Amino acid sequence: MANSTKDPALRAGERLVELDVRTQDVEINMGPQHPATHGVLRVLLRADGEILTGAQSHLGYLHRCAEKIGEKVDWLQYLPYTDRYDYLSAMNNNLAYSLAVEKLLGVEAPERAQFIRVILAELNRIASHLVAVGTYGMDIGAFTPFFYALRERELLLDIFEKICGARLTYSYIRPGGLMNDAPAGWLEQVKAFTELFDKKWGEYWDLLVDSKIFVERTANVGVVSEELALAWGCSGPMLRGSGVDWDLRRDAPHLVYDRLDFEVIVGRGYRGTVGDCFDRNYVRMYEMVQSNRMIRQCLEQIEDGEVQHPDVGLLLRPAPGEAYVGIENPRGELGHYLVSDGSKIARRLRVRGPSFCNLAVAEHLLPGCMLADAAAIIGSVDIVIGETDR
Amino acid sequence: MEVLFEAARDAAAALQAAGFEVELHQPNLPVYAPEGESKRLAKKHKEEDPVHEWRGDPYLALKDRSRLLELCRFLRDELGYEVLMDATAVDFDAEDEHLWGVYQFLSVGRKRRLSLKTFIPKADCRVDSVTAVYPAADWHEREASEMFGVEYLGHPDPRHILLPDDWVGHPLRKDYQYPDEYHGISCK
Repeated sequence: MANSTKDPALRAGERLVELDVRTQDVEINMGPQHPATHGVLRVLLRADGEILTGAQSHLGYLHRCAEKIGEKVDWLQYLPYTDRYDYLSAMNNNLAYSLAVEKLLGVEAPERAQFIRVILAELNRIASHLVAVGTYGMDIGAFTPFFYALRERELLLDIFEKICGARLTYSYIRPGGLMNDAPAGWLEQVKAFTELFDKKWGEYWDLLVDSKIFVERTANVGVVSEELALAWGCSGPMLRGSGVDWDLRRDAPHLVYDRLDFEVIVGRGYRGTVGDCFDRNYVRMYEMVQSNRMIRQCLEQIEDGEVQHPDVGLLLRPAPGEAYVGIENPRGELGHYLVSDGSKIARRLRVRGPSFCNLAVAEHLLPGCMLADAAAIIGSVDIVIGETDR
Repeated sequence: MEVLFEAARDAAAALQAAGFEVELHQPNLPVYAPEGESKRLAKKHKEEDPVHEWRGDPYLALKDRSRLLELCRFLRDELGYEVLMDATAVDFDAEDEHLWGVYQFLSVGRKRRLSLKTFIPKADCRVDSVTAVYPAADWHEREASEMFGVEYLGHPDPRHILLPDDWVGHPLRKDYQYPDEYHGISCK
């Protein structure tokens, strides 16, 4: 029923019309099988017309009891399980776990192993960000860039296959060093990739990130302020996209990162507000360039040598104790909190997955947004369900 | 690594000055042993001081868990630990009377980390939720709650998170009994 009222502020001939429309909130299930949730995540959305009024994530569809398994198998036997949390960056997961176990063992990997670890971690970061940006384009309706991104990722998977035989779940970086040294010609193949990638990077930038449609869909959408990001424990591109200058590779030096020259990319509101979906993708895009730079420096500095610490064998017995080690994964801080009692099996193996924490804040961004932006916001967090559910 | 020790020492001193009863625990094994020495050193420590042999990170232990929330507020507001990276629980031994509540803090501004441990009696498995100070604890506490049976007092949304809503028992407790079946699905 429409009723019109006269408002003294109105000019001659104008009429204020208020519609007395009764609306009802609708509950919509986004997932568990939804292409934009990147796995089996179910988000229960509540919408008033086009506007979201509430959101609640339901996790656990991919829960595989990683922490429980960690208390049942040997320290080294657990390594393959780390591949399976964030299956898009398995090298980084192996590295995070290995560094934590090494801390309890009291050993450091030899220098050549550290260089190869950094090369692999950064290559995997590029591979992971390529999927992140590519699939994000797909979430918001750009299908083609995904194929461009996967084209280069395929080359990276070939590089990984050559060094360890696996394309997705590597178990290659292990406590004490590496499974084996890089085969002949491998470093040259990496070098060829870094040169090629420099040429290709502009294609994703022009085709996807800098296009008008992409900017319209992402700028000023899903803004995470600096305070919100810190309070909710966000990390990785999610935190840097919000303008916080924090990167564990620079601020908590491990491996050989302190010998490399690189910049930490921080969101500055390049097309809209600081901390919007565009900034997060901007950070991912330019991090790939920086990773490429780091790999090139590693290739220049790497020397021959051992790749496994002589004191570390197959049966690990760390001293009793506990350690928390977090490293910069493509999605943020992957932390392992390990408690050992001196036996060959962990007492407690806690995994702090970055996607888990980053997703927690996404739920709070959705109310007030348009329904169509839900996919844009959840996609920009770049979650991998294997990690949120573990 | 040295930063960790420094942060723990500073935080312990500041907290003790503010009237909190915290104890600083430091590992007595060297962080990184020289090559070829790690096993020998570990063995030597085991023989000399088997009770206190402990490697890894330093941590603060808070005996009185009722002051946890107050302590967290102090850490955030006075000492600049603006991020709660992780909150979890540990059941070290089925025989133990206490669970550990373990919290990892991070200061982005001062580039420091801190590890805090509190003790939750299994007979009265309750502790204050720190979500009021660190919203980040929300999902971590939900997870610790379903896995260990800790009740977080004042948690805004204490549902299960990873396990099904009707799951019985707390899987990460050391005395957990595996169920025979779940809704007709054999678990053996």
